[in-house]
Amino acid sequence: MQRQVALIKQSLFDQGYLDEQFMALEELQDDANPNFVEEVSALYFKDSARLINNIDQALERGSFDFNRLDSYMHQFKGSSTSIGANKVKAECTMFRDYCRAGNAEGCLRTFQQLKKEHSTLRKKLEHYFQLARQAGPKETARRPK
Amino acid sequence: MTVEQNFEALDQFPVGMRVLAVDDDQTCLKILETLLHHCQYHVTTTNQAQKALELLRENKNKFDLVISDVDMPDMDGFKLLELVGLEMDLPVIMLSAHSDPKYVMKGVTHGACDYLLKPVRIEELKNIWQHVVRSRFDKNRGSNNGEKRDGSGNEGVGNSDQNNNGRVNRKRKDQYNEDEDEERDDNDDSSAQKKQRVVWTVELHKKFVAAVNQLGYEKAMPKKILDLMNVEKLTRENVASHLQKFRLYLKRISGVTNQQALMANSDLHFLQMNCSLNGLDGFHHRPIPVGPGQFHGGAAAMRPYPSNGILGRLNTPSGIGVRNLSSPPPGMFLQNQTDLGKFHHVSSLPLNHTDGGNILQGLPMPLEFDQLHQTNNNIRNMNNNNKSIAANSMAYPNFSTQQNSLISAPNNNNLLVLEGHPQASPSSFQGHQINKRLEHWPNAVSSSSTLPPPTAQNSHHDSLEWNNVSSSYSIPFCDSTTPGLDTTNPRAFCRNTDFDSNEQPGSFYDSLQMRQSGNYGPTTDVMLSSNSSKEGFVVGQQQKLQSGGFMSGDAGSLDDIVNSTMKQEQSQGDLSGGELGYGGFSSLRTCL
Repeated sequence: MQRQVALIKQSLFDQGYLDEQFMALEELQDDANPNFVEEVSALYFKDSARLINNIDQALERGSFDFNRLDSYMHQFKGSSTSIGANKVKAECTMFRDYCRAGNAEGCLRTFQQLKKEHSTLRKKLEHYFQLARQAGPKETARRPK
Repeated sequence: MTVEQNFEALDQFPVGMRVLAVDDDQTCLKILETLLHHCQYHVTTTNQAQKALELLRENKNKFDLVISDVDMPDMDGFKLLELVGLEMDLPVIMLSAHSDPKYVMKGVTHGACDYLLKPVRIEELKNIWQHVVRSRFDKNRGSNNGEKRDGSGNEGVGNSDQNNNGRVNRKRKDQYNEDEDEERDDNDDSSAQKKQRVVWTVELHKKFVAAVNQLGYEKAMPKKILDLMNVEKLTRENVASHLQKFRLYLKRISGVTNQQALMANSDLHFLQMNCSLNGLDGFHHRPIPVGPGQFHGGAAAMRPYPSNGILGRLNTPSGIGVRNLSSPPPGMFLQNQTDLGKFHHVSSLPLNHTDGGNILQGLPMPLEFDQLHQTNNNIRNMNNNNKSIAANSMAYPNFSTQQNSLISAPNNNNLLVLEGHPQASPSSFQGHQINKRLEHWPNAVSSSSTLPPPTAQNSHHDSLEWNNVSSSYSIPFCDSTTPGLDTTNPRAFCRNTDFDSNEQPGSFYDSLQMRQSGNYGPTTDVMLSSNSSKEGFVVGQQQKLQSGGFMSGDAGSLDDIVNSTMKQEQSQGDLSGGELGYGGFSSLRTCL
């Protein structure tokens, strides 16, 4: 079981969904904080969902307030970075570039992409955590049995 | 990760360091919290800047360090940074995903001790405690030099850390010690924050005096005074030092008038003295090219007063006075030794000048003198003559003798030999007078290029000068160098024709004041100019004096002054000559 979990995790890294930051977070997980990473992920997704919503609305309005969009994205990027959501982060950067360029079209496109990445990651992580929980709290991250 | 194993909380700094983390992003906040926990800090989190401020304001001693995100919806991180730095004086670390150097720069200029980029790594957080230590260290060093004691031993760190920790611990412990908090806070506030020079304006001083009166002179305690005064941004320390000066000042002039009068009038005078000193400070330290040993020597000698903040200001007058004594040429009004406590320095000055030197009765016009000194050799001579620049702004009787000599001694230096008029009622504000005078100095100076005839003119000039001086002095000293400060009785010296009224010590200022307004013509110019330029008139005068002995040039204008002063002088009696020590110090007018 743990092996499976480990493999999944490995693949996430390999595919670039996650980066070292995620690993650092995992290191923070310990007895005092057994589900730290999962908790943080949950938080992240909750937050980011809200952000995505905001951006969606802003974009739908059609008024492209690039400054505002940029600041949303900045926030998004911040949290994505903190959790190690690599691909999402990359999309954020692109989005911001388009914002600064005033490229509404580009923004829209990127944003769609971003949403996709975001939900993919979410699913994968959820799956991962599920397995990890099944495999046993502590060992999953460290020692595959 | 390396962690100290002892969890004895506070004494194990940096373990247990109390951090307040602020970030609107929940994810980041959580991560940050965990990271900080892993560094064994004690963490409080909030995602709102307002809440953070509340927490901090509630008890500024509850936290050692604040980490804040830059982009927050309810308040800009930089703004929070500023506020925390100002109000609570805590080290703040900025956190942001912006790696743009512009932001980093902004953080630094707003006072952040550090700027971290997201995602934050634990290695970076492990070191943030150094900021706390550093800031406490600086604070302690700045303010509590005497209070340091070695803290309890902390493990895991070197000796220096031990000391630091000790200090930190002490500080922390002290923080829990209510009694000391205030002192410390005051100290910290004063040293850690930008030390705002408290300028003891007339209004402020009036409040101060009122408070002292209310409490009773004997019973006046800085804390109570501070409470009564109810002035924002005034610390107990400010009041304490001012009180000390005030007390000394009163002692000085107590011989002249009664306490009450002094108290009443002293505002300006006191301020003047102080102010001028402060202002003159600049002079003092000005490289005295004149080189004459006297000046410099005098100046050096006279510079006893410390120029720290308020005290510095207050002391300047004394300093000035002192300066005058030593070097100042005639014009200097040096307070009598007995004067102004601070002005003690003056006493140290070579009062032995046969001529009584420049006894600046009343407020020493250091500015002027310095100027003079610097430029005038005459002044030097004057020094010799004047030595006793007994700047008794307040009627220093003892000057009379000197004064005489002063007066007689030609003030080649154009020193304003403001002989201490015994009658000068220094109490009130000679400073004001002087200040006012000083204002006029420039004008006066110019006019008084030539020293007025020694005796007659001197006296006149002296008074004038003195008046001028006083006015001018006040300028440097009090921010409120407004002529309105005439309330103080200028010493009789005020060459103002109004002098007559100055007979009385108390009235001295008044007369001076009056004089100032009136006479300031030429002489004042001198003084004033000097004041204004700080070198202007006095020095200029000096120069002139030197050349022509007395400021002949100014004579014209000086004459007026002289006449007026003469009248006053006569009324003053002793003031003649000696006091004014004009001897061509029309420029010196700096008299008090």
